[in-house]
Amino acid sequence: MSYQRTPSYTSRRTQNWSRNQNTTRFVSNVKLGPVAHTVLIALMITVLGLIYLTQAVKATGYDNQAKQIDDKIAELETRKSDLEVENARLTALENVRTSNVAQAMTSPESVEYAR
Amino acid sequence: MKYTGFSDDRVKLFSIALIILMGLFVLRLFYLQVIMHDEYTQLARAEQQRRLVIPAERGEIYALTHNQPVKLVLNQAVYTIFADPQVVEDKDKVIDVISRVAGGEMVDKAREVLKNASDESRYVILAKGVTRKQAELIKKETLAGVGAQTETRRVYPEGGLASQTLGFVNAEGMGQYGIEQSLNDRLTGKDGLLQAVTDVSNVPLSIGKDNINIEPQDGEDIVLSIDRNIQSYVEDTLKKGLEKAGAKTGSAVVMNPRTGQVMAMANYPTYNPAEFFKVTDVQAFTNGVVSSPYEPASVLKTLLFATAIDQGAVNRMTPYVNTDSVRVDDAVINNALKGMTGTRTMQEAYNWSLNTGSVYAAQQLGGGRINDKARKIMYEYYHDRFGLGETTGVEVFGEQSGYVVEPNAASGEGNAVRYSNMTFGQGLDVTMIQVCSAFVSIINGGNYYKPTVLAGTVDNGVYKPDTKPQPERRTISQATSDEMVKMAMEGRKAFYDSKRDRSGYMVGGKTGTSQQIQNGKYVFNETVGTYLGFGGDTEAKYVIMVQVAAPDKKLEGGIHAGPIFTDISNWMIDYLKLQPQG
Repeated sequence: MSYQRTPSYTSRRTQNWSRNQNTTRFVSNVKLGPVAHTVLIALMITVLGLIYLTQAVKATGYDNQAKQIDDKIAELETRKSDLEVENARLTALENVRTSNVAQAMTSPESVEYAR
Repeated sequence: MKYTGFSDDRVKLFSIALIILMGLFVLRLFYLQVIMHDEYTQLARAEQQRRLVIPAERGEIYALTHNQPVKLVLNQAVYTIFADPQVVEDKDKVIDVISRVAGGEMVDKAREVLKNASDESRYVILAKGVTRKQAELIKKETLAGVGAQTETRRVYPEGGLASQTLGFVNAEGMGQYGIEQSLNDRLTGKDGLLQAVTDVSNVPLSIGKDNINIEPQDGEDIVLSIDRNIQSYVEDTLKKGLEKAGAKTGSAVVMNPRTGQVMAMANYPTYNPAEFFKVTDVQAFTNGVVSSPYEPASVLKTLLFATAIDQGAVNRMTPYVNTDSVRVDDAVINNALKGMTGTRTMQEAYNWSLNTGSVYAAQQLGGGRINDKARKIMYEYYHDRFGLGETTGVEVFGEQSGYVVEPNAASGEGNAVRYSNMTFGQGLDVTMIQVCSAFVSIINGGNYYKPTVLAGTVDNGVYKPDTKPQPERRTISQATSDEMVKMAMEGRKAFYDSKRDRSGYMVGGKTGTSQQIQNGKYVFNETVGTYLGFGGDTEAKYVIMVQVAAPDKKLEGGIHAGPIFTDISNWMIDYLKLQPQG
């Protein structure tokens, strides 16, 4: 592989403030024309677009899953609130009073207080 | 061979045409993308974006059971089943399914409404208040053109318990009466907002740049100081007492004398908040304890004697001569109980509720007359210290202030006769909550607490009690309070129903029977009975006030309200697990 110095290249050796620094610069021999450049840029844009598209589709896929989970949470919360209502009804004073346990209760004959 | 190709003219022509075409494109694009930008953006948003209000859940309301919160008002998701008559295929089948599954929740004449729906009608309600289980059963039938809408309703597992204190929530979701109205802002919370680009299934997508997701802030879950068991017992006892007395209306309130918290607040007649729309008499919504000022009669003698003792004008044993009547200016004031004439003490005047005794005590505030000085002192105690004639600030909607005439009122109504009447609870309008709060301060050492029905909140299922209420002001001295406790206990002993009191406990109280005013004059055929007292072991643990009334009926504090007090008091001793002393 051969290398070539660019004609407009100015060696840093000539600059006092950059003495002894790496001054080698290489230019590839492979030449690309304007059409190739355009095609390459178009390809890069396409690839970037595709990457964006796949990520966006992936994100919307997650949105769908999130929605399903949200729906499930809402349904479970509804069930939970239904159960709480049922629990409150079952433990309501009227139910407690008419329960078999309450019916079987008797008044104490005498009460002594611990002091 | 030389390539001729197209002639230059044709190429130029083609180029010009192309440039013009491109120019048209550019112009059109400029028009669409720059000039019409806003309009098309709006159209695109309308098509792609959904803006949903996420409703905040209304806060639930708890009562206490021995200081543990228990749900009194809950929320439940219910469904409205509707049909699109244009899409429904088999109307009879739809009605049969709804009737079988929803039953009582089906709206009247749903079959006729669905069958006779006009061609334009796209929405017919078939059932309301359907539960989730019922809605799922209907969904399983896969009826074409039938759908369900979710809504939330208030559920009251205890039925009508404390209904006037709670209030209800109307069809628009607004609290009405009780704490539902007074604390509506705290209970309502703030709705959330979801603005997002959605797909064809209305699933919100996170790729939109204008997405907004504001979480709703649910309303506060509020814990009342009302004890569920005390409230229930007081309501039952009040109802039985009213039936026994032949009274039509009545109220009762139980307060904690160490905090000013209301433990029970009952009124009759009452209603079920879940069926508020069935109430035909708006009076049923009124909480008589806070919203109905009246003349409480002789229960106010407790306040008068506390004033006179605190001022050093009299003491419990100060004697006076009872002649069964006393003249004040141009008026003669009589005792209700006659025959106890002769030299009597203030304690005896309290025991037998002698008006001459309370007028005598008031006269001593002015050096022997109910003069300007005496009236100013009475007003200062009644109004400024005990809080009569001013709203207390209790958190129940519709509290009334009542009215206490100032001693120097321009109308001249604050004269000696008026203030003489005020010594035994006439000539002023006050609410039960005012009188009860004043009485609390008299028997607790002189600390006035603002009455409250709130005990705390529930946050994420954890009960957070409010900080212990602090006294707002001093009303009387500790020594006066001690004297008044003795006076009320002695007064209670002189009352015939005290024989039913549990032995070993301190119980005190005072009766009150007030004449009603008809056409501007006091009448004798209609009286309101009141009993105000306290109970406890080594100190007062509860204060109870009971009022009974009926149109054109004489109801007395001792005979009709007193027994209700006794029943509640005896039960409270057991419920609070108080131990007998001595």
